[in-house]
Amino acid sequence: MEVIRLQHVEKIYADNGVPVTALRDVSLSIAQGEFVVIAGPSGSGKTTLLNIMGALDKPTSGQVLLENEDVSTLTSAQVAAFRLEKLGFVFQAYNLIPVLTAMENVEFSMMLLGMDKATRRARALEVMRELGIEELAYKRPNEMSGGQQQRVAVARAIVNKPSIVLADEPTANLDTHTGAQLLDIMENMNRVHNLTFIFSSHDPQVIDRARRLILLRDGSVEKDVSGTA
Amino acid sequence: MLLLVAWRNLRRNSRRTIIVLVSIVVGVVSLLLYDSISYGMIRQMLDNSVGASIGHIQIHGKGYNDNRVIQTSIPDRGRAENAVRGMRGVKAWSSRVPSFGLLSSAQGSSGGVIVGVDAHSESRVSSIASTIVKGRYLEGEGREVVIGRALAGKLHVDVGDKVVGMASTRGGEVGSELFRVVGLFETVSADFDKTHMFVPMSSAQEMLDMGGDIIEIAIVLEQPEQAERIAADLRAQLGPDYEVLTYRELVPLLVAQLEMYDQMLVVIYVIIGLAMIFGIINTMLMSVFERVQEFGVLMAIGMRNAKVFSMVMIEALCLAMIGTVVGVLAGVALTLLLREVGIDLSVFAEGLRSFGAGAVITPELRFNGILAAVVTIPLTTLLGALYPAWKATRLQPVAAIRHV
Repeated sequence: MEVIRLQHVEKIYADNGVPVTALRDVSLSIAQGEFVVIAGPSGSGKTTLLNIMGALDKPTSGQVLLENEDVSTLTSAQVAAFRLEKLGFVFQAYNLIPVLTAMENVEFSMMLLGMDKATRRARALEVMRELGIEELAYKRPNEMSGGQQQRVAVARAIVNKPSIVLADEPTANLDTHTGAQLLDIMENMNRVHNLTFIFSSHDPQVIDRARRLILLRDGSVEKDVSGTA
Repeated sequence: MLLLVAWRNLRRNSRRTIIVLVSIVVGVVSLLLYDSISYGMIRQMLDNSVGASIGHIQIHGKGYNDNRVIQTSIPDRGRAENAVRGMRGVKAWSSRVPSFGLLSSAQGSSGGVIVGVDAHSESRVSSIASTIVKGRYLEGEGREVVIGRALAGKLHVDVGDKVVGMASTRGGEVGSELFRVVGLFETVSADFDKTHMFVPMSSAQEMLDMGGDIIEIAIVLEQPEQAERIAADLRAQLGPDYEVLTYRELVPLLVAQLEMYDQMLVVIYVIIGLAMIFGIINTMLMSVFERVQEFGVLMAIGMRNAKVFSMVMIEALCLAMIGTVVGVLAGVALTLLLREVGIDLSVFAEGLRSFGAGAVITPELRFNGILAAVVTIPLTTLLGALYPAWKATRLQPVAAIRHV
């Protein structure tokens, strides 16, 4: 089942009034359960492409269909609701809410969905247990290591059972061993729950695990190879 | 959970939170103090005015208040006094013979109101007996007079000196009487002290050729708020030849000032609110700008603008509630303390006396004053948070997440 379809997507930024093309005529399709890595040198458009796939940014032209829904036709509230229900995000800098504990961070997006506290807590604990981080439940981000924070961020991303998880350079701030552990978890989630993972990264260990590699250069898809891992 | 996040965010930068809280507390305390002191002062002016001689209700002959001449005496003294005597809620009353005349000494003379009174009943109605600062109060029916200390200074007389009172008699002649000053009084009103002198009722009636007639009955009530009802009862009993007025009609300016007070207070609230609102905007904006990345992430994971807006507003509401509760407690405690000890403004005594207020102001705590602070301050805080909250919703997740 197709979860993402991009057709002739172009993104042009205005940099001090000068137009800069970040993406040129990108067309691709991603199916449910894929483990995709978008790679390429700095400035190739990886993050821009990921942001467009995550409905965080709009293309200048072209069409973006997420689960067959044209996101350009949705209102900002509908887009927010779509992101909440269908997408999960993992950021390079973890970006947990510093005033909340790990458990509360995981619960937060369920709260936005309007779930009651007991259900939220049970579901958060279930996911944290699956990721092996239940002992971190009552710790605040500043009491956790980078790797622990990123695992909590993964728990937050998957707790609402999204169909797609978008991870922007998730291992960039982690050492190799911790990065590998995180990728193990994500691979496991992909296998067990058939979750679609899309990474933007230039970390070789991430690229090595890709089952599909989309290589960008100067905003265009240079290579789109499946079965690489 | 939004409340939890808001609460923890407030504790996150405790110094900034304390600064905002202090500004809210100071605002609330200022409002309560301003309200209680100002209202207390106006109330005091009214009470002084009522207590000095006016009373809560006065009875006269029909038309006296439009043309205060002694020819308009009370038609039937016995009937009027009996009506007052039998009225429930009357604490004390005094019959009087006031007239406009001249008091002269060897060194000078001054115009004013010569009030003939029954010494005993008058002491229960007016504050003259209790404000004697030299000599004594009236004792009986002799030719004695108590005058204001200010008037004594003007006439260059002291206790024991003789003065001559002159006024027009009922028949239009000039009546005069020699009095000996037995006491000097000093009320909180400089004007009253310069213009009023009290003599025994019989001396005044004799001087004015009034026989046994009286001009005025002043009444003090057990509960001032019953004035309208009791006045209406007296009017009904006495009929159209009598004029029964409450203190609201006798000192309309002071009553109007008291009634207009809430409207005047709005101006002060607006000024204090404006002073506060810019501080709140500034602090809440700083709080939003410090968390741009956080808001970006929250929006990215699906938080709607309305929720982002609510989050900032809840923080402001928490600040407002805590600040208002602490401010009201501090303001009430301070007001009660000041009410106990009084605010000594002796240095401005002369100025205050000219307004009829005492040198010691007693703040008066009002429910309306507390209510206004409880409504105004949180409302001002929320108004101040509107712009920062709106700014937070204008953030673009992509740019906000990259914000450093």
